[in-house]
Amino acid sequence: MSEVQPETDARAIAEEARARVRFEEEVLELADQVYRVARRLVSTREEAEDLVQETYARAFRSWRSYTPGTNLRAWIFRILTNLNIDRGRREQRTPTTQPLEEGDYFLYNRLEADAGSDDERRILERLSQDEIVHALSEVPHDFRDVIVLVDIGDFTYQDAAQILDIPIGTVMSRLHRGRRILKKELAEASVGESA
Amino acid sequence: MVFMGPDPCAECEQMLQPFLDRELSEDEFAIAEAHLDECGYCRKRYKFEETLRRYVRQAVVEEMPPELKQKLAALRTPL
Repeated sequence: MSEVQPETDARAIAEEARARVRFEEEVLELADQVYRVARRLVSTREEAEDLVQETYARAFRSWRSYTPGTNLRAWIFRILTNLNIDRGRREQRTPTTQPLEEGDYFLYNRLEADAGSDDERRILERLSQDEIVHALSEVPHDFRDVIVLVDIGDFTYQDAAQILDIPIGTVMSRLHRGRRILKKELAEASVGESA
Repeated sequence: MVFMGPDPCAECEQMLQPFLDRELSEDEFAIAEAHLDECGYCRKRYKFEETLRRYVRQAVVEEMPPELKQKLAALRTPL
């Protein structure tokens, strides 16, 4: 029996090494998606790069906490958002005030009046890429996290709820309010331009 | 949730996001659709919202710098 043990151990070690390599490869394949979301959770490219590196360092370290066969994408994004929340709490201690929002037709009504046209493409051309990026960055964190996960990361409400550890009803309400806040920011940007 | 009362366009505005997210019940969806069929004002605003979402997504997506990918690969556990 004592002769069999070392061989069994060696096999277990080899098996674990293979599983770890597989895990690392799978998680690395998600890096583009992780970066795209990270980039919009934080303000600068440098912060996004740091955040993604921290996320991967932690993911590789704690790979045993991932249960094979479960949602790997949700698992890695949960690490990302938790790290970002920790970082946000360190840097931004002031409580976020609840911003005012308008109804869902507000942006269209505003832009249509300015553009003098009801063609949605012509109306949208009034918004530059920089203005859209800036407007999104002005949406408070709690709302922006959900918009970025659902509208850029393509997560379902259920996954976003799991990632952020909040009820699905909260995901929906933050998403709806966040999009309205975004549209109000966009309306302000466009008005600023035409003034 | 809603039934078309005295201000159907205001109700339709409330349903815009859940409509596009396919969150409405069948009954609610049918109510919104019936209103959209006959109301050009709301139809335009729904179409705009759909296009806006695509537009925002295209505007804010930024691809990962290739060096970062290499840095991440270097974080892997050495064999």
